[in-house]
Amino acid sequence: MTPQDAKLPLLPLFMPISSAPTSANRTGSWSSRQPRYVEKTAPCSVHCPCGEDIPRIEMLAVRGEYAQAWRTIMTENPLPGCCGRVCFHPCEGGCNRAQFDAPVAINALERFLDDQAGEGPLPAELRPAPASGRRIAIAGSGPAGLAAAWFLARLGHECEIFEAAPEPGGLLRYGIPAYRLPAAVLDREIGRIRELGVRIHSSMALDEELLGKTRSRYDAIFIACGNGRGLGLDIPGGDLAIDGLAFLRAVRSGGLKTRPADESGPRSAAVIGGGNTAIDVARTLLRLGIAPTILYRRRREEMPAFSHEIDSALAEGVNLVELSAPLAIRHDSQAFTLTLQKMRISEPGADGRMRVVPVEGETREMNFGAVYAAVGVRAEEPWRSLAGAEGALRLSHTLLLPESPTGLPVLLGGDLVNEVESVADAIASGKEAAIALDLLFREGCGAITPGLERCRIGAGPSLSMEIYQGGPRRSRSQRIVRYDDLNPDHFTAAPPERGDSLPSAAAAGSFAEIEAALTADRALEQAGRCFNCGICNDCDNCRTFCPEAAVLLELRNSSRSDPERRITYDFCKGCGVCLTECPRCAMEMEEAAS
Amino acid sequence: MKTILEGSQACAEAVRLARVQVVSAYPITPQTHIVEELAKFCSDGSLNGRFLCVESEHSAMAAVIGAAAGGVRTFTASSSQGLALMHEMLHWAAGGRLPIVMAEVNRALGPGWNLWADQTDSLAQRDTGWIQLYCADGQEVLDTTLQAYRLAEAVNLPVMVILDAFFLSHTWEPVDLPAQEEVDQFLPPYAPRFRMDTDHPQSLHGVAPIGVYMEMRRSMQLAMEAVPELLERIEEEFFARFGRRYGPVEPYLCDDADVILVTSGTAAGTARVVVDQLRAEGQKAGLLRIRMFRPFPVRSVHEVLKSALKVAVLDRNCSFGAGGIFASELRSALQGGNPVPVYSYIAGLGGRDITVETIRDCFALTRGTDRPAIESVWLGVKEELLK
Repeated sequence: MTPQDAKLPLLPLFMPISSAPTSANRTGSWSSRQPRYVEKTAPCSVHCPCGEDIPRIEMLAVRGEYAQAWRTIMTENPLPGCCGRVCFHPCEGGCNRAQFDAPVAINALERFLDDQAGEGPLPAELRPAPASGRRIAIAGSGPAGLAAAWFLARLGHECEIFEAAPEPGGLLRYGIPAYRLPAAVLDREIGRIRELGVRIHSSMALDEELLGKTRSRYDAIFIACGNGRGLGLDIPGGDLAIDGLAFLRAVRSGGLKTRPADESGPRSAAVIGGGNTAIDVARTLLRLGIAPTILYRRRREEMPAFSHEIDSALAEGVNLVELSAPLAIRHDSQAFTLTLQKMRISEPGADGRMRVVPVEGETREMNFGAVYAAVGVRAEEPWRSLAGAEGALRLSHTLLLPESPTGLPVLLGGDLVNEVESVADAIASGKEAAIALDLLFREGCGAITPGLERCRIGAGPSLSMEIYQGGPRRSRSQRIVRYDDLNPDHFTAAPPERGDSLPSAAAAGSFAEIEAALTADRALEQAGRCFNCGICNDCDNCRTFCPEAAVLLELRNSSRSDPERRITYDFCKGCGVCLTECPRCAMEMEEAAS
Repeated sequence: MKTILEGSQACAEAVRLARVQVVSAYPITPQTHIVEELAKFCSDGSLNGRFLCVESEHSAMAAVIGAAAGGVRTFTASSSQGLALMHEMLHWAAGGRLPIVMAEVNRALGPGWNLWADQTDSLAQRDTGWIQLYCADGQEVLDTTLQAYRLAEAVNLPVMVILDAFFLSHTWEPVDLPAQEEVDQFLPPYAPRFRMDTDHPQSLHGVAPIGVYMEMRRSMQLAMEAVPELLERIEEEFFARFGRRYGPVEPYLCDDADVILVTSGTAAGTARVVVDQLRAEGQKAGLLRIRMFRPFPVRSVHEVLKSALKVAVLDRNCSFGAGGIFASELRSALQGGNPVPVYSYIAGLGGRDITVETIRDCFALTRGTDRPAIESVWLGVKEELLK
């Protein structure tokens, strides 16, 4: 019967099992190559004109270290609240995740992180260096002027901003409608810049008269007063059109109500142009109860305005008439009559956009209650002439006149000189001006170009203040991580999330901000979608997958909670598994020193 | 409890009753029903085990090797090309002395692709150090799987429980499903003799220099040599509890037989019918089903065949250039025993039916031929296709 206690006999078991450590077997001696941790450059940060350290920002956000993430943004860009709303986010265009599912919603995350930062005083690491004794006059308080002041002040230089308008902010305040950028966001960011000791003189343009009186107070001038003057329409009756930019300025200044005050006012308006100003004018008109029609000489796909802005405008009810060029404007007691030339597509131009030519004999007339022109802008005198001065040094985002007619070194920045007229490029101008002047003061004019080159992100045009100030980012390789460098096996598909938008019908009825912020949950998910290209986010794959247990986790000197990985080459065979399993290309293989 | 189960389900039920802790497998027809059933058990909680999904059979075996080295009871299953892909890891499991149990559903190897029964896949693994048990019906699959864990854990060698594709894996039969408490008493929790223990670090399965490797292999052979006796004791216990036993070989009417047919797997069921027919016709025919192929049951074979005049072996497999594998094993095993002539037949490759006629042919050819042909005789081959 079955004896439960009838145990089966134990057989001799002689097998490979040992309690002796294997450390005597120095497998590393077989190796001819050695992996190393080499952080590289993420393409998003190269595409960002401000050079923000996006992979690190998202890594910190995932860990819930919102304050540190925000400080990392502020190191490179003092206007994340504005940029998080109005930036055209070229970073997302460079995002490697686009080749996996869709780019990370970097722009929405920037806004989220700025919202988290709130109102408190600036943290110590963003406060100014000891005073250098240098003082810079800045013309214009738009994004370029504000950014220059922020970076110069942090480098220890005293700054005074002169602003012709009654309030600071330039285009951010007067050119971008409130439904895209509420004034409170701008005010908070300007407040932080003031906290560094920057003085802003409003309603005081830095003109030649003022400069003549005060020149001796300054060591340099940064001119970033933008292109404040709209180009007129060079057609018969062109002066009947209202300048679009001036109109937006009037609305932001409170000169116009958000509802038609007078029932007898115009009910319809033509907006001539295809850029962002034309879109902003049309959408603002819509909110004032006036039906806008955009008249554009080419087609929608050739419009220079951002595509998503065009989409929103059309969804809200803006009418678009393509291939129509104005020939003349007449006005009688009833209406403005536009004579329009029908155009047709001809061939691609040098910029890749299709050119148009008139269709002989095909003109028509349209009547509107008002006509707005948004066909381009130019700078106010006298800065236009300076931009063409001799001996000027063209940098990526500024123009440097070491010896200007003012007798002081002058830098021109922002829309005056930038190829891309965007807020982010304006901020890049301010940063470049700050670094260039700091180099000029410390080492002289010859140091500027090499000094700037050392701070470029991935050898592109974007600059890093962290690198200039010798921060850890300096140790990164300039090699830009491509999608093929990543190991997508370690990523799972997840859609991008943006903040909810007001429905178009509701949005068109007020100047309330259209786009809502990301919720905390969505922000966390979104930051978690970031591949953190090129930087170590402590995923520990290298250690987990190492077949020789040659990756050691050691405590950093300063922090018990923040361990650091080290490869012990006594045992590393150079097999390369760690490189393969590193999802984000933060390692490199090198031939071993013999 | 009597119930109707598919052969694959009988196997999966045994794994559930054995309270296996880690299952890892990669699906391949005709093994798939087994692992599908186990995946269901793991997900609905009727088996408190982890099902590890992997990307290949090699990884499946590697995963259960890791788990077994960690000291838990493990199971996997495969067939054909899947088993072939495991080959390297099969050596590792045996050399590592890990009591893994796997179900192997005999299927032909490709190309040409063929899903049906053929034993060449498992027999090609005969030298890996795995115990091999060939089953004939659903009840035996269930019982053998339970016994396999006792056996594997007693000798620290892995066990392959082998089923014919479709004839057994996909055939529904009445099966007596034992109660969990009964099985628990027969098969207590696995008590490993060694295991990876992070609190007491040691290296397993490392280097074996010239001075010790041979002794390690001798230890494996001694374990194999102990299997027949241990299996007998385990089957005694099993019989006492469940009332069924099989033995390493299953003789049928062999005591007075002059011609004995040796075969394995489901073909034995058909052969039994033929033996009954021949007996009714006055012939002294007998049948020996070989259940345990590794270790080869030499002593049992000697005993059963001691007075036979002729032995016919029907192989559903082929070692190309040598012929039927059971036949060559048997010839080798008979050295030192009854010097009886062994007639070798090959039939039923790639799922072709082994019918009553096929087996009658075996007996008739054997009885009617003075001495065995040097090469195996292939039965039921369409010679016209080979011209």
